[in-house]
Amino acid sequence: MCLKYSRTYQDAQDTLQDSFIMIFKDIKKFKHKGSFEGWAKRVTINVALQKFRKKSILKFDKIEENQLTEEEITVDVDEKNISLSFLLSLINELPPKYQLVFNLYVLDGYSHQEISEVLNISTGTSKSNLFRARKLLQNKINNSKINSYENKHRQFVS
Amino acid sequence: MKINIDNLFRNTINGSKPTAPKEIWFAIEAELKRKLILRFLYMFFGVGLISLTGYLFLFSETERSPTIKIQKATSQEELISLPQEKIPEKVLPLTTKKSDSPAASFPKKYKRNYSKKSFASLSDQNNKSSEKASFFEKKVMDTVIEKQVRKIDSLVNNLDSLVHHLKKDFDKERRRLLTEANKKNSLKKDSIDSENSKKVKGRQWNIIPVYGILNTGRFSKNTSTLGESFNEKTTAGLVSNFYGFNLVFRASERVSVQTGIFSKEIRFITKGLFLNNAITNYDPSNIVYNPGVDVQFSTSNIPGSTISTNASLIQTIVYMEMPFEIKYEMFRKSKINSNFIGGFSFLYLNKNEIEAKTDLFLRNVGQTNNILNTSVSINLGLDFEYHLSKRLFFNSAVMFKKHYNTYENYNNKTAPYTIGIYGGIGYKF
Repeated sequence: MCLKYSRTYQDAQDTLQDSFIMIFKDIKKFKHKGSFEGWAKRVTINVALQKFRKKSILKFDKIEENQLTEEEITVDVDEKNISLSFLLSLINELPPKYQLVFNLYVLDGYSHQEISEVLNISTGTSKSNLFRARKLLQNKINNSKINSYENKHRQFVS
Repeated sequence: MKINIDNLFRNTINGSKPTAPKEIWFAIEAELKRKLILRFLYMFFGVGLISLTGYLFLFSETERSPTIKIQKATSQEELISLPQEKIPEKVLPLTTKKSDSPAASFPKKYKRNYSKKSFASLSDQNNKSSEKASFFEKKVMDTVIEKQVRKIDSLVNNLDSLVHHLKKDFDKERRRLLTEANKKNSLKKDSIDSENSKKVKGRQWNIIPVYGILNTGRFSKNTSTLGESFNEKTTAGLVSNFYGFNLVFRASERVSVQTGIFSKEIRFITKGLFLNNAITNYDPSNIVYNPGVDVQFSTSNIPGSTISTNASLIQTIVYMEMPFEIKYEMFRKSKINSNFIGGFSFLYLNKNEIEAKTDLFLRNVGQTNNILNTSVSINLGLDFEYHLSKRLFFNSAVMFKKHYNTYENYNNKTAPYTIGIYGGIGYKF
């Protein structure tokens, strides 16, 4: 989880450490109303978001909702040939604003309403950022396919 | 194969995400609940202990004061003899030393998360490190405080058990001391009692010189022992004296036997008689006039013979009395005791005298001839003793004695009774 929300592995380590400290510090605040796992996850996400805010790298584009399209974004790949590290690297390459929204919505199951509250943005902004994140990821995956084909062809010619 | 980009990321990342087994999360939650309950319990018992301690300090000053020395001594011994695991560890100071790094004080299981790099980066980045350091310090302080609280809790528990043991030991010690003291007291009492009883046994005899006064009376009315001719005249008893000594033998704790020798005087007066100077051959009275006495007494005026119309006859009987009485101790309190007396006395006639009292003279005129030489009396009384010293005591008694077999040819109704009171200083030997 920390890797998803970090730019580097070292940042992820820091986030993990800070998250653990925060969990132990605020463990008395756990009310036993939900699962402890879910609570710990939320704390970790909050720590990661704080890091983003401190770095002042969160500048979201304000987009009106009517500009959004409901286009489904797909990629033509074999799921079995895609590695975890590859996908994580793709996420980390995203601009922070897209990275956060994508992670929260797709991987951690937040709704746009929840994302808007957490990141203090509108739901429209959340949706547009998510769309752009998807597009960027699609392009990256497609580019990686082309690159890998070229590499293989070069190896064959030589 | 076309695949939705969301599903691609979700399936790959979430599917391969290393997650802890569910049991771990349940165990953590259970542990947290247990700690929560323990926290409440500690708070409850802490408040209770503080209240109890306050109550004991505030309201049991009088109970603590006489026993504090013993408690202290016991507690020191107890502390010395306590097993090592009972002695609480040294409590960490609230303010950490300068040499103590936050990581050093941080619990071991979390220490590995602190890499050297992370600490280096902390020092490099000023803003970041200062914020982080303050946060770490807070965390470390919190952890230290938690640790201290736990240690204080364990210390309080140890102290509780120590106090419990001390109380038990103190109670045992107190009971033992009380038992010993009781034994000593009982032994002392026994020895005192035995000494007293020895002394008492050593001093079983008492001698009491006594002097008293008594009054005499008769149960029969209009009866004169001087003779039938005097029956119609008033006869009354007079106050007389009584002296002698009592010899008392202490037979047991409560019972004593007493005897003695007394001189007991009984006096009656018959008033309203006439003194005549004519001696007649016939005299119906029991009076035997002394030789040379040339007067007679009559109950009526004899013209030409009566020389005094206001004459009285005083009869004095003196007995040597030897009582045999039993004394039963009814009451004893420190120096005072009281006895009931019952018995009888042998009386031996010592003096029998008639005195004539007229306007002209008072003289002994003779005696009666109807008094028996020996007689007896039944004695009942109550005496009172006040012990002045180990050997001396004051004795006083009130006695009622009814005489029997006093007069010849008279029934015992005419026999006198006496009520006397006497006192004397007794000597124990």
